[in-house]
Amino acid sequence: MTKSQSAQELLPLTPPVFHILLALADEERHGYGIMQDVARQTDDALQLGPGTLYGCLKRMLAAGLVEESDERPDPTLDDERRRYYRMTTLGKRVVRAEAQRLTSAVMAARTKLAGGIS
Amino acid sequence: MTPQSGSQSDMIGSFCRIYSVLLYAYPREFRLQYGAAMQQVFRDRCRDLARTADPLALLRFALHLTADWLTTTVREGAAAFWSAGRKQTHRGFVTEWAVTLGIYLFVTTTLVQAYVIPTGSMEGTLRVGDHMLVDRVTFAAPGSAGAHILPYRELKHGDIVAFLYPEDIRQTYVKRLIGLPGDRIRLDNGRVIRNGRRLTEPYTQHIAAYPDAYRDNFPLSPEANTTARGRDMFEHHVVSGEVIVPPNMLFMLGDNRDNSLDSRYWGFVPRSYVVGKPLFVYWSYDAPTADLQEWTLTHVLDVAQHFFTKTRWERTLLVPRSQAAQEAGGTQ
Repeated sequence: MTKSQSAQELLPLTPPVFHILLALADEERHGYGIMQDVARQTDDALQLGPGTLYGCLKRMLAAGLVEESDERPDPTLDDERRRYYRMTTLGKRVVRAEAQRLTSAVMAARTKLAGGIS
Repeated sequence: MTPQSGSQSDMIGSFCRIYSVLLYAYPREFRLQYGAAMQQVFRDRCRDLARTADPLALLRFALHLTADWLTTTVREGAAAFWSAGRKQTHRGFVTEWAVTLGIYLFVTTTLVQAYVIPTGSMEGTLRVGDHMLVDRVTFAAPGSAGAHILPYRELKHGDIVAFLYPEDIRQTYVKRLIGLPGDRIRLDNGRVIRNGRRLTEPYTQHIAAYPDAYRDNFPLSPEANTTARGRDMFEHHVVSGEVIVPPNMLFMLGDNRDNSLDSRYWGFVPRSYVVGKPLFVYWSYDAPTADLQEWTLTHVLDVAQHFFTKTRWERTLLVPRSQAAQEAGGTQ
């Protein structure tokens, strides 16, 4: 109970944090991998700059939403070692709760706007 | 991986170097933690954009990166600032403030004192609303603990001196030192004659609206404005039309000579009442006398509203000079 409350307390998420969590939902990624995935998710509407990306990661690490994985090269880019990040169980709960919140918001918007648009 | 031309990788290399310099705007801790990764991400993005060969995309990237850099440096800087304040150990915090308080108390009780000029009696030299720091060391009473190690000097004619008002020692006055012990003083037509010599005082201001025999031809006989101490001076220290300054006493006059309640009215200042030497004006604010004697709510509001317009900026850091009067030759 207290855990789900703490997840609720972190809502609403800022768009960068929400999309970073989504990027890490299916697999662990390094910084540039996150950036590319966020761009894909949003059709290039949200391009994270390096400062925004790592500022968010810093705060998400502190809040326990993500954790550092190991450092290893990305086989598709080059042989440089990169720090990988993965989502924690708290992160998973928080991103689900946020998706739920957004769904309710979209539903509310649909109901309100249905009459006006048609 | 698509091979890239040499010139392109050169360009990316120089972009990366610029970015590595820009990283120094981030707080040190953040830079050490994430700087290398941020550079990596930056280079990856540059390479991807170079592959698309779209100059507009590069421009968008540059603009976007600038915005990102500006906002996040400020954000991380502020975060580092706040966390630095919180992280400090409790003991370090207490020690630091104790030391600060100790220094503050030593400085304010021993070395300097803040003081505001409430009246116009020194107008011409000091104005109503001049906030000054007073040096308590230079004129420290002989025998005080600091006298041997601190830069101490004797009072001399023409010094501007801050002292406790003898009639009410809760108030501090600032006036010019005219008479030292043993001096014979009188005023003739508003001019000081000291030990028989007429003084030429360039610092004085005479703006009399009316003649006043008591004020200008001192000492005649006590009048309504003369206090008990003043009457005592008339009774015991006037010899053949001249005031003789007794030992350990000082005779003080305001530079605004026609509009100053000074030793002519309330007598001598004991040497031990000397507070110090006005050092400089740190803030000059145009406010009426009543507001300067006590911080009232109206004064606080007035300062809040008119700080920039009513502050006399040109007087900031002004140093009032002690100035010896010229003594005319010959006995008068």
